[in-house]
Amino acid sequence: MIDPSGPASLRREESGPGEPEVSWLRPSPLLLRARRIELVGVAVPVALIGGLAGQVVSAAAGIAIAAAVVVAALLAERLLARRVASWGYAERHDDLLVRRGVLIRRLSVIPYGRMQFIDVTAGPIERSLGLATLRMHTAAAASDARIPGLESGAAATLRDQLAALGEAQAAGL
Amino acid sequence: MTGPVAAGPPAGGPLPDRAAPPLARDASWHRLHPLSPLVRAGRQMMSLLVVLIGIAVLNQHQDGNLVADLVVIVAALVGGFVSWLVTRWQIADGVLRIDTGLLRRDSRRFPLSQVQAVDVVQTGLARLLGLAELQLRIAGGDSARGGRLACLKLADAEQLRKQLLALAAVPAGGVPAPATVPDPDGQAASAPAARTAVRTMFRVRAIRLPVAILLTRSGAIGLVVAIAIWLTAQFDGSAGVIAPFLPVALGVAARLWRQFNGEYGTTVALAQDGIRLRSGLVQTTAETIRPGRIQAVRLVEPLIWRALHWCRLEVDVAGARQRNEDRAEGQRLRALIPVGSRAEADLLIAELLGSPPLPSQPPPVRVRWKAPLSYHFLSWNGDDQYVVAARGRGGRPSPAIPLAKAHTIRWGDGPHPRRLSLATVHLDVAGKRVGVKVEDRDSAEALQILRVLPDLARAARSRAR
Repeated sequence: MIDPSGPASLRREESGPGEPEVSWLRPSPLLLRARRIELVGVAVPVALIGGLAGQVVSAAAGIAIAAAVVVAALLAERLLARRVASWGYAERHDDLLVRRGVLIRRLSVIPYGRMQFIDVTAGPIERSLGLATLRMHTAAAASDARIPGLESGAAATLRDQLAALGEAQAAGL
Repeated sequence: MTGPVAAGPPAGGPLPDRAAPPLARDASWHRLHPLSPLVRAGRQMMSLLVVLIGIAVLNQHQDGNLVADLVVIVAALVGGFVSWLVTRWQIADGVLRIDTGLLRRDSRRFPLSQVQAVDVVQTGLARLLGLAELQLRIAGGDSARGGRLACLKLADAEQLRKQLLALAAVPAGGVPAPATVPDPDGQAASAPAARTAVRTMFRVRAIRLPVAILLTRSGAIGLVVAIAIWLTAQFDGSAGVIAPFLPVALGVAARLWRQFNGEYGTTVALAQDGIRLRSGLVQTTAETIRPGRIQAVRLVEPLIWRALHWCRLEVDVAGARQRNEDRAEGQRLRALIPVGSRAEADLLIAELLGSPPLPSQPPPVRVRWKAPLSYHFLSWNGDDQYVVAARGRGGRPSPAIPLAKAHTIRWGDGPHPRRLSLATVHLDVAGKRVGVKVEDRDSAEALQILRVLPDLARAARSRAR
């Protein structure tokens, strides 16, 4: 049973909501690298295309656009580390907690018995780093619970574990 | 799949004896009513016929066209007939099985214990022919692929509905109790006195409904469009100026008509096998929601209705309603009370949910800085069984969900709420139509809610089991 008084966790503002007694597990540190590769994959073409398009007006405009994109990407990179670090999940006795987000922080409580099915997906970048994303689906369309950047072995283990727990606690609709 | 499904029409599949209604226990194969292709084609068929007849009348002297048109009609009819020929259904071991398809056989099984609600739908044409369509609502099944038997004779459909519900009430693997007492309750509405077990709880007033529909937002839009058309026609005598308005006007009119047609004469009754809902002017729907299958109840009070102390009570059941109409229609909640007084709504809520708490806890005063317009309406409340939350947008919807039906519980904030130290807690139920959003609470309170609700929900679930 959760202790109703919450000042202990409230003081730790930067860590978001959470239970003092819950130990958060984090995705693999490789997730940051995957996100960086994705960011470069987006920023470089955008900078090139923007720069070339700016050349039509003047050479200075083209360089300015490309530079702006690069600066934006660098700023996004700074945020990226915090965003990646914000992901966390915790297995409790009856439910799974997933939290994420820096600007808009979110925390989802997903009872094991409510999980309808569990997906493990991996995009090309994630796969090359040996990572995978775990998605938990419930019958509610609004509950979008996922854990990115798990090592693929760990993801499969967690999936099987959650599936077993879900089966044991399954509740009817 | 175990049955002989490889061949098209079953060799030994006996047609149901029309004198005796189909029996659930005999596990034999049944066919749909022979006229069902006509009804299923329904609206499209009718419009096609009208167009084709129109063309045929206009081009009377060109025989070639007429023959081509006839070929189209005959092909459509033959297609419908073949589809009827290869469709059959069976009830065995608590599972409804529907086999269909000529080239690609399609055999679907619907475990009756998972049925959320059973609808008996009659389109206008079906009513003329005395037929009805039976629809099963299964959670998660998208509308196109839910279980539907279209069409059966009305009496058969009613009988079958009763049998399906009786079988659904039996836990999986159990022995079906002789639940279907031979009672003469063919039409509950026409003979309410025949069974004491059926209690009518609410009946919408015939005059109030159209007035109320016109007083909602879409009604107001319709009124504006009508006035615009009228004014334009006044100033500019020619009828041609109306043309640009026509699509909008038709859209609004169709929407209003659909709502009126769907909710006309709504009657809510409580029976042994669930909540019975009947409504409809041209197309009638008789719906039976199994007990304990209500995902959410929502009270809505549109702006203008508040002056008249009217409200609307909607109910959400997992599994989309199957209608041939657009998707947006399937997303709308079914109205238990299309329009009624607050007292009527309270009575029905008390009957369905017991005594859910009233949303009486206002948010902290500083929410004014974030939501100045809706601040006055935001409130929530919860006990160990229900969570209720009211919001300020437009119709002031206040949904109530039983905690036993809650799926995920989500906490969230953003930069602006965080500065005011506010947070929001969502509760999701199955489907995507409704959820409770406990908006803009003090962070400490939101955390408190987040901590307590999962345990309360778990306790409620295990109590419901």
